[in-house]
Amino acid sequence: MAADGTSSSSALSVAEQLEQLNAARKLVLENSTYYAQIVKGVLPIIGPQAPVELRRWGAEFLAESLATPVLSMGEKEGIAVTVLETLRHLIEAPSEDAIVLKASIAAAASAYPVVVRWIINNAWNKESWENMSAIKSRILRIWDGALAPVKICCIKFAQRVVLAQTVSNGMEHKHNGLDVSLNMIPENHSCLDRRQLEAEAIGLLDRTLGILQDNSSDVLLVDATINCLSILARTRPGTTNRILNAVLNFNPLRLATSSPMTPKTKVLVRSLEKTTRMFLAHLLRREPNHPMAGRIQQYLEKLMRQRAELYDEANRKRPADQVLSAAADAKRQRMDGAAPLTIPPLGPGPHTLAKIFTLTDNLGLQGFDVTQLPAELAAKIAVRTLEGMDQRVLDFAVNGVRDRLATLSAAATAAPSAEPPAVLNAATAPLGVDEDDDDYEPDLTPAEDTEQILNKLDNAPPEEPVGHALDGGATLAALGPFKLPPPPALDPDTAAQLSQAAASRVFAPLASLKDGASSSGGGAAAVRRPKAGINRLAAASFDRDSWLTVITRLATRSTAGLDDEEDEDGDDGGEARIKAEEGTTTSLGRLRGPSLGDAIREMLYNYILEDWRRRIDVAVAWLCEEWYCDQVAKRRRRSSASAGDVTLHYEKWALRVVDGLLSYVTAQDKVLTRFLAEIPELNRAMLSRLKGLCADPTTVQLALTSLLYLVMMRPPVREAALDVVGEIWTEFEDARPLAAKYLAKWRPGFIESQARALESGALPANAMAVAT
Amino acid sequence: MASTDASAGSSAAAAQNEQQNCAAAGFKLKFCTVCASNQNRSMEGHLRLAQANYPVISFGTGSLVRLPGPTQSQPNVYKFNQTSYDSIYRELEAKDPRLYQANGLLNMLGRNRAIKWGPERWQDWQIGAPRVKQLDQKDQGAAGMEAGVPDIVITCEERCWDAVVDDLMHRGAPLNRPVHVINIDIRDNHRDASIGGSAIVDLADSLNKVAVEERERVGPAVFDAGGAASRATFDERVPEVLSEWQERWPDLPATWTLAWF
Repeated sequence: MAADGTSSSSALSVAEQLEQLNAARKLVLENSTYYAQIVKGVLPIIGPQAPVELRRWGAEFLAESLATPVLSMGEKEGIAVTVLETLRHLIEAPSEDAIVLKASIAAAASAYPVVVRWIINNAWNKESWENMSAIKSRILRIWDGALAPVKICCIKFAQRVVLAQTVSNGMEHKHNGLDVSLNMIPENHSCLDRRQLEAEAIGLLDRTLGILQDNSSDVLLVDATINCLSILARTRPGTTNRILNAVLNFNPLRLATSSPMTPKTKVLVRSLEKTTRMFLAHLLRREPNHPMAGRIQQYLEKLMRQRAELYDEANRKRPADQVLSAAADAKRQRMDGAAPLTIPPLGPGPHTLAKIFTLTDNLGLQGFDVTQLPAELAAKIAVRTLEGMDQRVLDFAVNGVRDRLATLSAAATAAPSAEPPAVLNAATAPLGVDEDDDDYEPDLTPAEDTEQILNKLDNAPPEEPVGHALDGGATLAALGPFKLPPPPALDPDTAAQLSQAAASRVFAPLASLKDGASSSGGGAAAVRRPKAGINRLAAASFDRDSWLTVITRLATRSTAGLDDEEDEDGDDGGEARIKAEEGTTTSLGRLRGPSLGDAIREMLYNYILEDWRRRIDVAVAWLCEEWYCDQVAKRRRRSSASAGDVTLHYEKWALRVVDGLLSYVTAQDKVLTRFLAEIPELNRAMLSRLKGLCADPTTVQLALTSLLYLVMMRPPVREAALDVVGEIWTEFEDARPLAAKYLAKWRPGFIESQARALESGALPANAMAVAT
Repeated sequence: MASTDASAGSSAAAAQNEQQNCAAAGFKLKFCTVCASNQNRSMEGHLRLAQANYPVISFGTGSLVRLPGPTQSQPNVYKFNQTSYDSIYRELEAKDPRLYQANGLLNMLGRNRAIKWGPERWQDWQIGAPRVKQLDQKDQGAAGMEAGVPDIVITCEERCWDAVVDDLMHRGAPLNRPVHVINIDIRDNHRDASIGGSAIVDLADSLNKVAVEERERVGPAVFDAGGAASRATFDERVPEVLSEWQERWPDLPATWTLAWF
């Protein structure tokens, strides 16, 4: 307890004064409008002549007032300008108390951007800038010789100067003066010289980073430095490369290799390592495309590796290390308790290979995943163990395992139908380890897991598994998390190929699925099951019918509206259409070659043609879906009133199916009639394909009967069908008798007029197009 | 407001020394405890620190407050800052009193509602915003926390520490105030939270002792680097205190850094 040496002129004791000051502080915390008034009021009490307790309180109060988020920059300007002189006296006082100094420098750091902003707009106030500059040079002068707590505040002050005097990219939060930057300072300001300020900033930055370049092991200072660099690196582009280079060249593990691993060193090394890693991961997460991202990534990986090696080595050197004490104890127990080895017989049921070779009944050891050890380490342990092992114990163990295998194979031959021990992969075998029976709380544990897993998902932790590998004995008993290697990057061609492959896999189950329709009818005449009806579910069971329904809908609906997206980029209607399927748009939209839908359609088409007589139902169902989707697309186009074209599929694929069928149709295939009757829409193009059948005399009747059926049963296409019959009459001599018969009934007078036209040599226009 | 009226005090110097000693001895570091949901571990720490007369506040870093539900896939989820412990208590009690009594949730929420109004989210906390209202509400640990800025942040899980450090970097350190961020790995169940609470108080006592020692020392700081080793400051001694503490609590691995508000 040192006396402060100044005589208080106050009648009140320091304690009473502090009480009053605290009451005043409470007042401003309750109502921030009093700040200006009260700060001004306390200045005379907390000056350099005041007792140290009051100076401490005062400096801390100033730091608090200048930092508080409740005051705006404008309000703080007034306060900052008022307190500068007091602050200057406190900071310039020789042999000032460390706590006073620390708080005063923190206050100066908060005041700095405020004062710069004030001077930008009030260049006349040279006195304030003089005070601020004096404070700055004093802080920079005492920086090197100061005590640690003061030093870290000097570092922070320098950081604020750099922040205020470099060019900003505008990405910072706009409060507490973080946004005060060189951008705000006009070119020809009477007291602020941009070039000079920027040069000073860069110089200060280099000085700040010096501690990293020296590879300092003063953890407090390094942490304090790294933890205030983020905003510079992110929002002051001119500083980014300097900072990253300094951090990337910094070796946080140097301390570990240069000094013995005491408990304190361990805390320090971990702090340096984690702080550095957090900083780089923080930047990487916010700017994954930074030009130096690759280097950062590399550095982080190297750091993880080095750390693992370091602890590995430490373990080998001092197995009794506290960190590993739990694991070490476990090991020792086992060695000491080298009680006569007993090999329990395996119980019934399938066993993993790992279990067959497991001779210990220690749960912790059973759960230990050897693959976590580096191979060379495992080899060394194995060699060492074999060297020192009693031959009899080894023989006993080997025989034990041999017996187990023999028992198992005997059991397997005895019951040949029983499954052999199929799971032989030791790495993936279930371990069945209950880590901690002792402190197991049945009520809470499952809930805890849920919460932790969910929260983990929320936070997407950057923490690598290695970080925990050495944290305690318990973790040794658990398998390390297995991470799939990231998939190779896809280019559009491979993506297209893969989606083709995916499409073809959709068809794979068809071969093995039961035929939904009973085979009794034999093909075309297959009887529909009674469940059919308007309320029928599209696919309620896993039979072939249901699966085909799924396929047809995959083909027609899954990518509906996506394929045309490329043609009408930026079109509102198009965007609205794909809103619900945003995730798939980009991947599908960019595919080269046939779209996924068309790929499935192509396969569906082939599937039908493979056995079209039996699969005509599939064709009808598919085309119905196609037609339905086209109607939906048309309606959407109408309602969205966009000019863009919608790709329609029905007509194209109906024509292809008709063409496909017709090349195989024989005179007996009445199924054609049914097909034409059942597909949802017919047009002239489709009907005129039927004329091809009339070139073959055997199928003339089929073609004409089909047309007649349509004329009788589908009034909407009656005229079109009759036109085709008429054309057949005109073009195919062989077909005339039958065609004439139908025409006579359904279009009386047609033949007469045609005959007349033929005689006069002038064909009616509608027959011209198809004349071959 | 202190008056500067000049009249000689009789035993002013002696009394002043006395007072100063008391002021230093009465000095309390301000703490902040952090876990995922601001329910179990951080609240246990909050309560224990408040009982030990430390100014303390507490937060969660998760996106939502998650409490166990009837099954693993049906947790009870609440919003931070908008749901009071009391309303959660009443809701769970209405849902299934036996289940939530049996798994200790009601007990925990009953404790929490006596400590403060509701769970608060770290990321939404405006650092330095006055917390006078909390004092009026008789929140535990609110006394001394009126300015809303702790000296020490204690997280109860590695990823909470990560979230806190990352968030502080993101905020850009506008307040220019150093803060020690310490992680203590505590498993998320009632028993371990209780053990962790004792460990937290032990750590707080150790740190506070060092801080008081520093405040009792008065005098020139700047040009006295020669004797610095023998009289290291509080900030420097934190890692040392932590490593000593770690030896007393080997099962609660700790991490530390000095960050900025």
